[in-house]
Amino acid sequence: MSQNESTIDSESESLITTDVQPDTSAEPVSSATTIVETEQLDVYYGDDQALDDVSIAIPENQVTALIGPSGCGKSTFLRCLNRMNDLIDIARIDGTVTLRGTDIYDDAVDPVALRRKIGMVFQKPNPFPKSIYDNVAYGLKVQGKKVTDERVEEALRGAALWDEVKDQLDQSGLELSGGQQQRLCIARAIAPDPEIILMDEPTSALDPVAASKIEDLIDELVEDYTVIIVTHNMQQAARISDQTAVFLTGGELVEFDDTTTIFENPADDRVEDYITGKFG
Amino acid sequence: MARKAYRDRLATLRTDIVLFGELVVERYESAVAAAANGDLREADRIVRGDDEINRRYLELEGDCIDLIARNQPVAGDLRLITASFKILTDLERIGDLATNLAERTEYRSGVHPAVDIESLGLAAGEMVDAAVDAYEDDDPAACRSVAVDDDSLDSDCEATTERIIRELLAEQTAGDSKGLARTVDTTTRGLLTVRDIERVGDHAVNIAARTLYMLDTDNELLY
Repeated sequence: MSQNESTIDSESESLITTDVQPDTSAEPVSSATTIVETEQLDVYYGDDQALDDVSIAIPENQVTALIGPSGCGKSTFLRCLNRMNDLIDIARIDGTVTLRGTDIYDDAVDPVALRRKIGMVFQKPNPFPKSIYDNVAYGLKVQGKKVTDERVEEALRGAALWDEVKDQLDQSGLELSGGQQQRLCIARAIAPDPEIILMDEPTSALDPVAASKIEDLIDELVEDYTVIIVTHNMQQAARISDQTAVFLTGGELVEFDDTTTIFENPADDRVEDYITGKFG
Repeated sequence: MARKAYRDRLATLRTDIVLFGELVVERYESAVAAAANGDLREADRIVRGDDEINRRYLELEGDCIDLIARNQPVAGDLRLITASFKILTDLERIGDLATNLAERTEYRSGVHPAVDIESLGLAAGEMVDAAVDAYEDDDPAACRSVAVDDDSLDSDCEATTERIIRELLAEQTAGDSKGLARTVDTTTRGLLTVRDIERVGDHAVNIAARTLYMLDTDNELLY
């Protein structure tokens, strides 16, 4: 590699500058440790309520899928977890969201530090008009990490892309195929070594083969990260997730359980109707 | 390879079915030996071991359901899972039939002398073993061979049944009422034993038939 190394000012992993008392109440569906938890979470966009009293405990190092019809609030919920909704002026949030017991909406929490721990991948691959190398390096720089060839390679390997691009790191990221671009975005997201990766319909713009590669990648990512994925594809949720949360219209979390239970024996009739296509 | 986790689960299911088949064959052949030798201790082990077979059956059935519910298998994958689902039931039933044989070992008067338990029983056991091997090895020819062997087993079972009935009728003609009561008892157990062994052969054919369909979409043995 010929790329330069650069350093950024902060390597700190701390979210906050003052003491915040952790809140550890939870009703997890898994025996795994809870990494992120919401309590009575309400979200409003102006006068419209997007989430209604959502309480959920998400286990670490597992894949949690969020499913539900359009407009049910699942993407809103996802964006609450790394405070992306802060960027929307009319958004208002009540309730609590905790990361390992720390309230992420506490005034003392630095949103940038939070997003270092919680990366995000979007529906449409959005690489920067830069080289493959610089796309990953940017992920490190913006999160205050030192850029090294080793870290870039590690991120590209982690995204199962290294073998395909190792000889063309100077090539523009925009010249890659759609599936490769999405994996490049995943490499960019994991480069700062986050704890959680949020994915908002990461395969909906991809063909089935490229989508399959992303699904395989998610299966590998959970060895090191917690993955929370919004998907409109119920079959995808069934295939790749350990837990599934079902949201229905009105921003209500109707059921949250291990994926096998949701798809084989859901407790709520509305979930049964939704996953069998009778809903609506 | 795409969908590696799913592929791994399919391979694991297949391995688990083969291991379950080997467990059932071991229990069945032990039951045959126990019945042939009047080994009550071994018979008791077989009877108590049926819970383990039932538990494993339900676990593997659950694995099949889970694979279907969560992975939407199609084509060869769907045939593998549905064939495995059906084969599991046959294996579990063979486990029940092994238990039947073991339970009859407890009767000291024994099974009717016309029943060569060892010869008939082991022939059926070899068929099950061959059918499980065919499933493991993707071997359509071996599937068809199991069906041929079943014709021979059926013939032997029919001949044995006929001998038992003839002896019962002869006893009745002789008019020895005390001996007749004893003979009815052993005759009943003899007929049930022959029927169970014959059923083991039928389950072996079912396993072969499902395997053949799984491999070649050939339903020749299903009817």
